[in-house]
Amino acid sequence: MKSFDPVTLATPLFILTVILEIVLARFRVVKANYETKDTAASLVMGLFSTLSSLPVAGLVVAAGLWAYQHRLFTISMGSPVAWVAIFFLEDVTYYWFHRLSHERRFWWASHVNHHSSQHYNLSTALRQTWTGGIAGTWLLWIPLTLLGFPPAMVAIEKGISLVYQYWIHTEAIRRMPRWFEAVFNTPSHHRVHHARNPRYLDRNYAGILIIWDRMFGTFQPELDEEACRYGLVHNLGTFNPLRVAFHEWIGIAQDIVRSPRHILGWMFGPPGWSPDGSRDTSASLKAAWAERQTAPPERESALVP
Amino acid sequence: MTPTPVRAQLAGRGRTPLNQALFTQLAFSGLAVAILVGLAAWASIAKSAPPLDDDRARRILGEEFPGKTLDGLWVAVDGMGALAKSGGMALVLCRLGDGFVARQIPWAQALAASFKDGRISIDLTDVAAPRAVIALPSWPPKGPQKNLAA
Repeated sequence: MKSFDPVTLATPLFILTVILEIVLARFRVVKANYETKDTAASLVMGLFSTLSSLPVAGLVVAAGLWAYQHRLFTISMGSPVAWVAIFFLEDVTYYWFHRLSHERRFWWASHVNHHSSQHYNLSTALRQTWTGGIAGTWLLWIPLTLLGFPPAMVAIEKGISLVYQYWIHTEAIRRMPRWFEAVFNTPSHHRVHHARNPRYLDRNYAGILIIWDRMFGTFQPELDEEACRYGLVHNLGTFNPLRVAFHEWIGIAQDIVRSPRHILGWMFGPPGWSPDGSRDTSASLKAAWAERQTAPPERESALVP
Repeated sequence: MTPTPVRAQLAGRGRTPLNQALFTQLAFSGLAVAILVGLAAWASIAKSAPPLDDDRARRILGEEFPGKTLDGLWVAVDGMGALAKSGGMALVLCRLGDGFVARQIPWAQALAASFKDGRISIDLTDVAAPRAVIALPSWPPKGPQKNLAA
């Protein structure tokens, strides 16, 4: 049987739509900004992300097969109900994977590169991790196989989710119809997710359905009065793909060497955690932002104009 | 016995269908990347990023370090960066592509930066942004710093 990989099938579409977005932006038909080195970094990250997954591919497949051998039920790939079920279950799994990838530094170290561009365009979608296999987040999908979904079914659904999330990395589409915005992840919702404004940090973790963010309290709509500023809280000072891929891992290692007794905090605390609280976390940035919103005007006037 | 593809691969006898497909896919993907990067360069659709002046540097520093007061501000002669003093800290702004990278370091660390050929090179002690290079007429600043926060 020939393998079915949605991502491989969609690759020509990725290339054609990036071309389309650039050309349409060039003639000012749509809004999009592309900086040459930034684009190169994103695409090189995407190119080598496939290769970087190969060393652990065997382990991932073996784990999936082992889990399937110990499954609770046997679910047929031919069942439409099973496909509906895997759609929802995979999507909620993705939500928690994505939330974990933002809220705990060990997994953020793998995911940070996807957020490291100061741009938001279709090439940003391709700025994929090189260290996802090592981070082990693929383990989160194993319970689906233990439940009885065939590993191939889980892999296909993961691929469909990844392909869906490609088109939402754009400023060319402002808003989708209201009903669509209410249910699905959209360019507007995902712009918020990529923004570094304190108000927008750690919001909209959705894969395909935005309903999970609404259910679990992490939804934030894009506001017309606050334009998204993209990138990281502390942006990278380089376009070097090696530094893009590994800087946070190196940062963790440096912190552990500096202060080994705080190893658990360095590894599994929120990004920006430090023993003395001297660094910025999303929570501290949000708190400071909220405090500034309620600050009396005379205090504001003393700030940098 | 005819060697299987796996045996041939292990024996290093030519390319198997698997690694040939991988190689072909990688080659085409590499070509596509080159074309897309070339197209992005041709399109010239980066964000507008005029050189920094005092006002623009203040605005960006205000966004990057909200709530910080500026005791002194030095904007690069080429507008590609800026350095500000805020209490005991130095706020560093450095151009990257069509955007800026900001970091906060102890003021003493900024004062200790090497100055050569009209540029200061500041060690930011950060693997994600190791060094900032800013073109200034002189460094360190001489005499009392003018208060630019007013």
